[in-house]
Amino acid sequence: MQKNKINVEPYLYLLPSLFILVSLLLFPLLWNIYVSTHDVSILTILKKWDFVGLKNFYDLFSDPKFYESLKLTLFFVVGSVSAQFGIGLLLAVLLNQQIKGTHVLRTLLIIPWSVSTVITAFSFKFMYDDNYGIINYVLESIGLDAVGWLSDPNIAIWSIVLANIWYGTPFTILFLTAGLHSISPHLYEAAIIDGATKIKRFFFITIPLLRQFIITNLILITVWSINFFDLQLIMTGGGPLFSTTTTSLYMYREAFEFGSFSGGATIGILLIVMNLLLTFVYVKIFNRKTSDQNEK
Amino acid sequence: MNGNRFNQPLKKYYSDINIVCLYVFSIFLLSIFSIFSPYVLPEVVSQEETIILTAIVAEPKERWDLLFENALEELNKKYTDKKISVDYSVLPYSDTRTQIVTTLAGRSDLDLVSIDQIWLGEFAEAGFLTDLTDRIKLWNKSSDWYENNWQGGIYDNQVKGIWAWTDVRALWYWKDLLNQSELSPDQLKTWNGYWDSFVKLSKNLDKKIQPIHLTSANHVPDMWYPYLWMLGGDILEMKDNHPSKGSYWFPVYNSEAGIKALEFLKNQTEIGIKPQINHFWGQEFADKKFAVMLEGSWLLGQFPRDQWPDLEKKIGLIPMFPVPDNKTKTSTLMGGWLLGIPETSKHKDLAWELITIMLEPKILVPMLLEQGYLPTQKSIAEGNYSKELASTIPYYDELISLIPYGKGRPNIPEYPQIADHIRMAIEEVYHGADPKQALDQAAENSMYVLGWR
Repeated sequence: MQKNKINVEPYLYLLPSLFILVSLLLFPLLWNIYVSTHDVSILTILKKWDFVGLKNFYDLFSDPKFYESLKLTLFFVVGSVSAQFGIGLLLAVLLNQQIKGTHVLRTLLIIPWSVSTVITAFSFKFMYDDNYGIINYVLESIGLDAVGWLSDPNIAIWSIVLANIWYGTPFTILFLTAGLHSISPHLYEAAIIDGATKIKRFFFITIPLLRQFIITNLILITVWSINFFDLQLIMTGGGPLFSTTTTSLYMYREAFEFGSFSGGATIGILLIVMNLLLTFVYVKIFNRKTSDQNEK
Repeated sequence: MNGNRFNQPLKKYYSDINIVCLYVFSIFLLSIFSIFSPYVLPEVVSQEETIILTAIVAEPKERWDLLFENALEELNKKYTDKKISVDYSVLPYSDTRTQIVTTLAGRSDLDLVSIDQIWLGEFAEAGFLTDLTDRIKLWNKSSDWYENNWQGGIYDNQVKGIWAWTDVRALWYWKDLLNQSELSPDQLKTWNGYWDSFVKLSKNLDKKIQPIHLTSANHVPDMWYPYLWMLGGDILEMKDNHPSKGSYWFPVYNSEAGIKALEFLKNQTEIGIKPQINHFWGQEFADKKFAVMLEGSWLLGQFPRDQWPDLEKKIGLIPMFPVPDNKTKTSTLMGGWLLGIPETSKHKDLAWELITIMLEPKILVPMLLEQGYLPTQKSIAEGNYSKELASTIPYYDELISLIPYGKGRPNIPEYPQIADHIRMAIEEVYHGADPKQALDQAAENSMYVLGWR
């Protein structure tokens, strides 16, 4: 009899979390799906919303600008993630050495990440400015030609990637430093006794033991970079031409500049799918490598 | 026994977690309650003597501080039994429209908004704005407005907003820099003279000063329309046989006039004028980064107030956009802000009274004097206040003289998208595209947005 009695108490503990999960995550997601299947614009928002099925998705897939925005997102994400991760890993490893002052350096390196993105965007916008910008001022004062950092359509996206690298790298440093601290120093001592060089220690001890941190970090910075549009919005507004309109910015502009809320919601759904797919790929690769290692 | 001993810390742990969870849950519920309490408890608020009107307005803040402070003083004098105040958010231009849209789409309570003339159509069509027509009839002051300005507040035969002040774009120059290059300001008046002036200024000016400003910022269409208009073209035209609306607006900006106007901008880039992606609304001119700049009358506000009395000695104004030849009449773009009452307002009568007080010359003029804006009311522009304005605002008479040449942009709901099509076309031309091709493509996109395709 006692075995059949359901213990309600643990489920009660879950209620607040469930409530928050449903109200803050699940409901907006379902609402987004609802909006993307209806005709909702600034002109119809207070009126009846007509059900349009998958028309918004069809329109989006027929829109050449959407594909252009995807290409720009690819540049932005690959550029940002590879540099943030590469520089972040390098600096995390360097700062993990037993050298005086690393604590101070680590604190200083965190500053960019603690700065608001709006401030970062405006700072870079002014630094890149053709007339007021310090970068062109320095270039010209040493006899070089000024560069149209944000006015040249071929360069603008990379200028924003650079700003994003400055902004986002500290997170990788912080995250991987935590991972490095979790590795037992005894492993390195044993490797040194066995005659392993620094490079071998890095590739055969550090990287494998950091793998969980690396994969989580890569998932986070990739998802953030895909969704990120603050820098593009403030620094260029998506221009010149269309050269910095990544998909997330395209979503924002559709919804709030052109008043097509259902268009914006449709792009939002596709961004979610894109993020989930990439997360799945990362986890799959990570699991495969882990199982390969276990087999060995 | 061992099991019990083992469970003791676990129980304490669960108990702690329980308290934390309850705490978080309570905070969450309180937050939800505080957000929705104004809707749940409207009577409690209305029973109080204090009435707080809410508003979203666009920067700069100083103009609203001055207007609201003086207008509220008057309003509170009238209602001695109430304490009326305005809780106003002043936002950057680019955020104002988004904030108003999201606030009103969410049916949040809002009593007053500042509306850029080009937003009126979509706000009105969306049902965001209160119809002021009946109140206007009782108020009986509409005849004091310049016709163009009054019409700017009307949508679908209903008054949805009142154009409070205006601005015009004109040609500004630094007198000493032109003298240094032995240039007469008259040379800037024609297209050929404008190009020649650039060449002369380039040779003579310090490298840190750019000769002529050419914008490539988001509002670039605004600086192209005057050329389009002076050549007899227009942005949109009413046309019959619309697939669903009978008669509706049709894009005509890709006309011969439009192409010629865009070729003038293209030629500027070809002779070396660099389009500026960042815009600082005249601050770049005030900082002497440019010798010549086409900019709105708000440029004066970028100079410190104490410099205004002597400003005409330093900077010059030509009240026109350059023309292709002396026979062509110039044109300019008229902007400015309208005041409107959102449909969601719970204090429509008070908000209306506040607006009417804000528009009274004795309240509005001090703000115009402080910020250098131009009036939309004849009694201010031509009456007793005009002398005061002319003696305080540099080049006031010249700026006012441009108003007859000024035109507004279409205030239809689709305008933001159409403006973006034109912006893209201009930017493409700046980067080498053919003006006709770029404008035709833009017009094709606009036709789609307007429902012709």
